Amino acid sequence: MIFDIGHLILLTALVLAAFGILAGYFGGQRRNTRLIQSSFNAVYAVAGLVLVAAAILWYGLLTDAFQLSYVWNHSERALPTFYKFSALWGGQAGSLLFWCLLLSVYSAVVAFANRHRHQVIMPYVNSVLLTTSLFFLTLLVFAADPFKRVGFLPPDGQGLNPLLQNYWMIIHPVMLYLGYVGMAVPFAFAVGALISKRLDNEWVRTVRRWTLIPWMFLSAGIIMGSQWAYMELGWGGYWAWDPVENASFLPWLTGTAFLHSIIIQEQRGILKVWNVVLIWLTYFLVILGTFTTRSGVLESVHSFARSDVGPYFLGFLIIIVFGFLWLLFDRLPLLRGEHAIDSYSSREAAFLANNWLFAGIAFATLWGTFFPMFSEILTGERISVAAPFFNKVNGPLFLLLLLLMGVAPLLGWRHTSMAAFRKQFTFPILTALAVGVLVFVLARSLYPVIGLAICGFVVATIVQEYVRGAMARRTTTGENFLVAVANLWSRNGRRYGGYIVHLGIVMIGVAVIGNEFYQQSLSVTLAEGERATIGRYELVFQGMESNRQANLIEFVGVIDAYNLDSGKQVGTLLPKRNIYDKTPDMPTSEVGLHMSPIEDVYVVLNGWDNGGASATFTIYINPLTAWMWVGGIILVIGTLIAAWPHATRRRTESVRGLAYAPGDD
Amino acid sequence: MTEVTIPDPIPGAESGEPMTRKRTVRIWQAIFVLILLGFVVLLALRLVQTNQSEHRADGVAPEFTFTTFEGETIALSDLRGQGVVLNFWASWCDPCRDEAALLEATWRREQGNGIVFIGLDYLDQEPAAKAYLEEFNITYPSGPDLQSAAARRYGIKGVPETFFIDPQGNITELVIGPIVSQARLDELLDQIRP
Amino acid sequence: MLLLVSVVWAALFSPRVVVAQADNPAPTATANHAVTSNDVKDVADELWCPLCSGVRLDACELKACEQMRDVIAEKLAAGEPKDEIKNYFVAQYGPQVMGEPPMEGFNWLAWILPVVALIGGGVFVWQRMRKMVGAPTEDIASSTPDATDEYQARLQEELKHYD
Repeated sequence: MIFDIGHLILLTALVLAAFGILAGYFGGQRRNTRLIQSSFNAVYAVAGLVLVAAAILWYGLLTDAFQLSYVWNHSERALPTFYKFSALWGGQAGSLLFWCLLLSVYSAVVAFANRHRHQVIMPYVNSVLLTTSLFFLTLLVFAADPFKRVGFLPPDGQGLNPLLQNYWMIIHPVMLYLGYVGMAVPFAFAVGALISKRLDNEWVRTVRRWTLIPWMFLSAGIIMGSQWAYMELGWGGYWAWDPVENASFLPWLTGTAFLHSIIIQEQRGILKVWNVVLIWLTYFLVILGTFTTRSGVLESVHSFARSDVGPYFLGFLIIIVFGFLWLLFDRLPLLRGEHAIDSYSSREAAFLANNWLFAGIAFATLWGTFFPMFSEILTGERISVAAPFFNKVNGPLFLLLLLLMGVAPLLGWRHTSMAAFRKQFTFPILTALAVGVLVFVLARSLYPVIGLAICGFVVATIVQEYVRGAMARRTTTGENFLVAVANLWSRNGRRYGGYIVHLGIVMIGVAVIGNEFYQQSLSVTLAEGERATIGRYELVFQGMESNRQANLIEFVGVIDAYNLDSGKQVGTLLPKRNIYDKTPDMPTSEVGLHMSPIEDVYVVLNGWDNGGASATFTIYINPLTAWMWVGGIILVIGTLIAAWPHATRRRTESVRGLAYAPGDD
Repeated sequence: MTEVTIPDPIPGAESGEPMTRKRTVRIWQAIFVLILLGFVVLLALRLVQTNQSEHRADGVAPEFTFTTFEGETIALSDLRGQGVVLNFWASWCDPCRDEAALLEATWRREQGNGIVFIGLDYLDQEPAAKAYLEEFNITYPSGPDLQSAAARRYGIKGVPETFFIDPQGNITELVIGPIVSQARLDELLDQIRP
Repeated sequence: MLLLVSVVWAALFSPRVVVAQADNPAPTATANHAVTSNDVKDVADELWCPLCSGVRLDACELKACEQMRDVIAEKLAAGEPKDEIKNYFVAQYGPQVMGEPPMEGFNWLAWILPVVALIGGGVFVWQRMRKMVGAPTEDIASSTPDATDEYQARLQEELKHYD
């Protein structure tokens, strides 16, 4: 009964969303305040309705309502409660509902936050956001109904996909989806600006923070996904350039390019067309990514089961592409640049180079992801485009990007004089040389030496910027160094928070270089009590254990790891194999991991014989890999500093709000 | 779609005649639209393709040639006039073991009646495959499907999959998964007898 | 910048192979070589599961992959070099076991188009920039003191005094 209501609620939300789109558009065109107010109300109402629908499905999952096809297919009685909760996004229909939920709630927050501002643009923003909601509601009502019934009452469900029964899998999709849906907001602002012809810098300024927040979620989601792959998939790596991974990485690339290029538009009034195109691309890639992972168009280990949502997605993609292009071409004459660039050695030029590289990487990644599809359609030959391709093509580009990240902050706006060059570059270059020589002495191979030297260069740049800024404050205000740094963050969080983000990226870069070039591995079969040596470590197999859990049996190979240099035990590693009751043919593995700043000891349990008297392990030593997760945290902190609304800015905004028509900021 | 007729508001900011500039802008727009159109069309094609392979059980059987483990080369077109049972299998495939004995026994019974059994070994290794053939004492022609050429043309999703091809070279039936009932197999054979 | 890209590209195109060989010396071409699971892993590391997408052969748990690894062990024991073994699998399963498109025929496009796009984009950006740098611009420095970043402007001023 209650589940039929769920379906009805979705249908109501769909009708309301359609109404809100029209109300927003015509309200904006005719400046009809009642219609505009209706569009706001529609946004709130859709959010409320979808929330209720999601709550009903959650209720179904938590109360084991197996008469629902979704609950039957993605849950079971013995499933731990928090996995029942996260099963909402464990399957096709539920995850579409979850997507829709996050999007509509996010839209409501945006609408509420801007209810007294941007009065010309906001009605269209509401319309665009509701259009996206409408699309997902259409899917939920017509193609992937989460409240579909089985027709009988099964005694138990079939269980959640074992790969998703992991704590990272509860939080990772939430982060990723928040990043995804959030990218609809800057796009909606861009479209609103285009429709209303308010194409000055105003929308750009507002949209920056609304881009930073989803960017942070998207980054965190990607990092957590890598963490999951590292802990669960057991091949010693964290990123396989799989189509689904690429689908989340592509909007990150274009979104990052957008975050940088809007800075030049703000400062110099150029690149207006490019910025609008970039944010549209980001939104397009979000929808494309959601489409490809759910329609069977691309093959991937992470794909959802195929269903008939494909044609709907294709239709929506066509609307996004050609609707937007039509609008853009129509408004092109209004998007002329105001100023020019004065010199090649200016920060503007560096930003252009940054965008060029990001666009290049995004193109190569998109091309590589879809190439197997092109190849199969056009030649009938099946090939795979995996890590070797992406590493070769994107590797050098990432290296250049890293270098640019160090160089750009050293260049002045408009022009950098020769004297400034010398003053700015001396310390970073010396640092890079020192790091390069050090790495060369330790391990002679070309790529990592260059890579780590560049990392040193970037870190030196950041340190130099901080020291200069803090010293300048100290001479003028006399505050101590730490207070000065705190003030740099609160007064100019955009710039100094940005540097923190860069620092996080460098750490991730260091981790990638360490894992990629210095990884050692060993595959051994050990009898109980036997030992194996790898690198500086000795590992002793202490025997197998098995534990009964709620819906699985875990088999654990107990390994004590000793550091040969110090002779001390560094820890006990517990690589596991989980055999699930419902899907015994799909065992999952969990690696045994000892993390340290220098290197991770990483053990995979491959199998065992004679009731556990001997077992086979693959052991990896992954240098510097832990820095990836530290870098991820630093990146989030940096983004928060950059996005934090600080006192002075709020004041100027409210002053401006008084000076002009209220809400016209 | 490409409406750029509004006069240039800031002339002379960039070199070149406004007219030629407008034309280059229009060309770029056209190229951009065409690339995106091509991409969307390919996506659509792919979507159709993924749904189409669900209906593989009708139409003309795609041609293929293979060499058996004994070294004999056989093409499907050589077998016109006979009913062909085309079985995709692999030694690593456990369900294949459920049908292997039945297939071999039926082949021995039917080989004089204008029926040919063919085994195509999908993504497999020769030593393991030969051990499998020996284990089930399989005597009908069987050989590796090199580079999965035939498997792709038949659009198989996994093993075992068995295609029944009539003497005119049309697929009459496709069975996904093992065939374990003699009655069912006989019924399918009756459709392809010459 | 373009030159730099091509140099870096040329210099770094296949560094991974070199490193891998340095770490794990390839088995010498003698028969009866004692093949360890590590030697197998060294080869399987560079091959991809033909049945799954994007899973490296050494980490794949399918029975088919296990058999492939057995064949690698057999061939290593017979003294076949790594490249020959890889070529054998390409002949058996097609180019998809390589994890990257072969640089021939239609598949050239996979490699060449990103490079072409990058260089094309670079030329485009460069030309736009040259036009902009060449164009006479009124002095905007005084008319628009970075309104959004007034603090930064002040900081620059302070920095000048500081040196």
